Amino acid sequence: MSFFRITLTRSGIGLPKRTQGVLKALGLRTRMKTVFYPVTPEVAGQIMRVKELVTVMEVDKALTKEELRAERRPEPGFWVEKAVPR
Amino acid sequence: MLSRTLRKSLLDSRLPQKTLSPTFLLPIRARFFQTTPQHVESPPITTTTSPMNSKSPSTPRTKKSKAETPEIVPIAPPAPPAAPEVSHSIKELLPLLQAQPEHYISAHIHGQPYVVTVGDIVRLPFRMPGVLPGDVLRLDRASSLGSREYTLKGTPYLEDRLFECRARVMSVEAEPLRIKEKKKRRNRRLRTVKSKHKYTVLAIAELKINNLEDIE
Repeated sequence: MSFFRITLTRSGIGLPKRTQGVLKALGLRTRMKTVFYPVTPEVAGQIMRVKELVTVMEVDKALTKEELRAERRPEPGFWVEKAVPR
Repeated sequence: MLSRTLRKSLLDSRLPQKTLSPTFLLPIRARFFQTTPQHVESPPITTTTSPMNSKSPSTPRTKKSKAETPEIVPIAPPAPPAAPEVSHSIKELLPLLQAQPEHYISAHIHGQPYVVTVGDIVRLPFRMPGVLPGDVLRLDRASSLGSREYTLKGTPYLEDRLFECRARVMSVEAEPLRIKEKKKRRNRRLRTVKSKHKYTVLAIAELKINNLEDIE
């Protein structure tokens, strides 16, 4: 089962209430908020309504909030090679 | 042309021993030896537990919570199963870079770049959890590696098998106590906020560029 990965890249401020309602229905509250929805005609229609504001990718798996955070976190870039006795 | 640059880089490697003063007289090193650190934290395990036990009964709970969430220390990554082929330009130019006398590296720690060379003292802008003075860290993430004449740039990062960079944890330093006065409008009440942050100090102990045979 594949998912839409939808990220809000442009804000909905100043747009018609109807468009803002679609964003609210998708759960996109702020810019750079990412949500996952299964690929269905209903969700595709919602995306079409706000296609100028979002970037969409089709992925195999929906990520949790923690996984999204881990994706953004940079690698530590070091590891302890020799530790003093503690 | 290529042989000329090789010869030049070899000549360069002989020269600076005469011209440069010894490392402990260079400005950064000299400052490090002359100044006294403000606060050096001793290993916290033995010192913190005993006085707190006598003071408050809530210590067992705090100790337990510490045990539940241990400080995460990055461990050695597993060796990649099949290393990809080294590109042609690296094969050609890495020996030239290796022949140069001194190198620098821009190592990334938690995504932040630090341009360092051997002997540098780096005061990180944070206290690194889970390390003690004396630990040797292996820095394996770098975006560029170079010398006076050559620079190897990563896209965006270099492979970690090209080089070996080690840093030693020197101490944990504390800044002077900062006191900030907080006041709301139309109100005489003055609140003071104290802050005293701790920082980990690293010394770059080793920077080595691996041989082509070791990489392959």
